[in-house]
Amino acid sequence: MALQLIKSSTQNIGVRMRSITKLSLVVAALVLTGTTLQAQTNNASITATATVQTPINVVGAQQLSFGNVFPGVNKTVVAMDLANAGRFDISGQASTQVTLSFTLPATLGSGGNTMPIVSYAGVHAQNSTQTGGIGFPPSVGVSPSLNASGQLWVWIGAQVQPATNQAAGVYTGSIVMTVVY
Amino acid sequence: MQTMKRKWWVVIAVVLLAVPLRAQGRALTVTGIRGVTFGAVLPGVPRVVLRTDPANSGQIDIRGPKGPVLLTFVLPVAMTGPGGALMPISFGAGDAGFSATQAIGSQVGFDPKQPFTATVPNNGRASVFVGATANPTTNQRAGAYTATLILTVTVL
Repeated sequence: MALQLIKSSTQNIGVRMRSITKLSLVVAALVLTGTTLQAQTNNASITATATVQTPINVVGAQQLSFGNVFPGVNKTVVAMDLANAGRFDISGQASTQVTLSFTLPATLGSGGNTMPIVSYAGVHAQNSTQTGGIGFPPSVGVSPSLNASGQLWVWIGAQVQPATNQAAGVYTGSIVMTVVY
Repeated sequence: MQTMKRKWWVVIAVVLLAVPLRAQGRALTVTGIRGVTFGAVLPGVPRVVLRTDPANSGQIDIRGPKGPVLLTFVLPVAMTGPGGALMPISFGAGDAGFSATQAIGSQVGFDPKQPFTATVPNNGRASVFVGATANPTTNQRAGAYTATLILTVTVL
């Protein structure tokens, strides 16, 4: 009887030891898990983006030329006149809209003499032959788009009104076109 | 029976101890929300994007355990464009900002070139905003340019 009691007690100690070992493992696992969660690192990326535009280049390609005019006789050069209308050639970012604005003289000058210039008209087109060209009032400006090659052509016409006593001479003025994206 | 009871008490205690540990160790996620957008730039004309720019600044969101975190950027020195063309990009000492409220109007500025310690608030959410300057050269080739910014967040 005494022997059986000792045996039973030994078995109980063994079971308790195994339970404690298991328990220790569970505690260790939880502690380790906790430690791992504490030391966290993560990352993410974003992009930086930019689009470089081709600089705008504008060339005054052809003068607005009225040729000979006579006192008291108005003379008009229409914007569709490929030979005499003033022409600007623009190059820049392909297929991109630009805004055109103009500084237009009210008179042409020759020494101290002046001659009125009025009725400005404009045409812009994506080719040099004005095919599909669109008229616009230069005094207001316009916002066309460059063609797929990044080019645009603009023509300007106007009317000069020499007085009946207009002094003879060569009269000139400057038309300034500003182009911005 | 007493041994079993004691054992369960210990298990319950450990589980209760583990719950706060898990809560404190909420998974850290870092998410890129918005890139730095310079838009159209012209050769020779620098373009600045402020970290307070709601439309163009970069934004990265952080979700994780409350408490201190270390923010470390890997920053590019140039954006890459057509044919491998490079456009310099620079970051000023105040070009990054940490927001514990995730509001772009409420940031603490810091230098993105230096590691920065910030504190994630109790709700476990915060944001980092970043600005930069694009420096196109006078003969910069036209086209689209991109670069990658990486933010690493370490829970301290």
